[in-house]
Amino acid sequence: MIDRCRKIRADILAISHKSGHGHIPTCFSVVEALVAVYSTIRHDPLRPDWPERDLFVLSKGHAALGHYCTLAEFGYFDVAEVERFGGFDSRFGCHGDRLKVPGIEVSTGSLGHGIGVAVGMALAEKIKGSGRRVVTLVGDGESNEGSVWEATMVATDRGLDNLTIIYDHNQSQRRCLQIPNPGERFAAFGCAVSEENGHDVAALSETFKTRHAKPHAVIAHTVKGYGCKTLVDEVFAWHRRSPDADTLARLMEELDARAV
Amino acid sequence: MRGRFKQTVTALAEADSRVVVLLGDISVYQFNDFQKRWPTRFYNLGILEQALISVAAGLSAQGMHPFVHSIAPFLTERSYEQIKLDLCYNRFGANIATCGASFDYAWDGATHHAYSDLAILRLLPGMDVLQPGSEAELETLLRSEYANGRPTYFRLSDHPHAIDTGPTRFGEGIVLKRGNGGVTVMTAGPLLGNVLPAVEGLDVNLVYFHTLKPIDAGLVAAFADTRVLVVHDAFGLREAVNEVAGLRTWYHGLPDAFCGWYGTLHDIRKRLGLDAPGIRAAVERLLAA
Repeated sequence: MIDRCRKIRADILAISHKSGHGHIPTCFSVVEALVAVYSTIRHDPLRPDWPERDLFVLSKGHAALGHYCTLAEFGYFDVAEVERFGGFDSRFGCHGDRLKVPGIEVSTGSLGHGIGVAVGMALAEKIKGSGRRVVTLVGDGESNEGSVWEATMVATDRGLDNLTIIYDHNQSQRRCLQIPNPGERFAAFGCAVSEENGHDVAALSETFKTRHAKPHAVIAHTVKGYGCKTLVDEVFAWHRRSPDADTLARLMEELDARAV
Repeated sequence: MRGRFKQTVTALAEADSRVVVLLGDISVYQFNDFQKRWPTRFYNLGILEQALISVAAGLSAQGMHPFVHSIAPFLTERSYEQIKLDLCYNRFGANIATCGASFDYAWDGATHHAYSDLAILRLLPGMDVLQPGSEAELETLLRSEYANGRPTYFRLSDHPHAIDTGPTRFGEGIVLKRGNGGVTVMTAGPLLGNVLPAVEGLDVNLVYFHTLKPIDAGLVAAFADTRVLVVHDAFGLREAVNEVAGLRTWYHGLPDAFCGWYGTLHDIRKRLGLDAPGIRAAVERLLAA
């Protein structure tokens, strides 16, 4: 794990402990993907409304804490501001609000929505003939929703080669509706498909830079809770749970163990 | 009314390159010329109402003025959460224009009837809800509201009235008749074609709306000292009118039941007492009460 991702995970743990909120394991599975996205798209943290920027839509909105900590790491705001995460009048809710947080392009939360909006954004940029790209991150659980596949069909039917769909294949649905072969599904729906280790920032970044003649689905093979053994071993117990002080110390130790 | 819709949207597209049409595989023939003229601004996306709304939100986010058009129950009830979140909560404006409501597809049965659309869309913060009754009203409202930056619902009708209701202004109700009998009939949309003849010669006020949200609360309040009979072939107007406190209202419209008949709009209106004689009888009952 690169230091930048370790730092973001430490921020997620500390803020979850302090606020009592956050889906830690799902945030941990997408940290590398988020870092790779913001390392490759055109954006300017000092000008979040820059008209030429590429667009990132977090469709699995419950990874908001991971998104906030990544945006902070890239300079959109000070991570200390996120500490009141989920607080009554905080800007930083447990699901992101585009009108409150710079860098959030679409307010998401209910699953299966962000990808459809991202498809509309990509279509708009094609109409305008701009070179802007749209990247969206969907969860494997989220992909139980039919709307994910409606959006994917539209994207491929319209040849949106400016759209990248990152699929967080963290096995979150193994107790109900797990999609066993997401790469085959996206290929069958007409996408160009890449399969990557979702915890390899360099590999993900290379993949995101590659352009294809059709929408690009990147299957990010990830581990829910990646970075802390406890979270990986007890993934369902930790789905939406915050650590107390002792547990936080233990999780920080696991994160620093550099076993991963 | 769909013809006028197409004509007006085409005129808007001519003047404004941000106008984009998204169809749910309905009215495609109507838009043949549009598609030929502006192939990159016309998309018959398919029969996927959730995606239609979400894609419209994304287009709006990037500065376009989308018109989404499909059949009323599917585009509003199936996609309600997309309208609520992707449009309203995100403050992405878009125009939703439906056909088929209330009983325009009477023969297709309850799966294709839509009488809750106006009521449920009124509940969404930031949403404008329009039920133009005539083609002239539709054109005026399309032209004035298509780029207002808010999610805006235009409920088209295959049976518009042709009554000249005077100047059409967004958000304003219209008094079509004044009386001294202490009863005010309030109605909206194409049903005016039945309501106006129904109250002929009766000593009542008649107030008509094409905009259900925002409702013209000031105009409603002006009749608060009368008994108000809401006559509507949908849900939504009664709720809008009752936002004004202190009213005494009655409702002549739909039952709390599926309307399990087929036939035509006129057959179902007649069964519900929403043909002119049925409406007149309801008004007379209230006058006599």
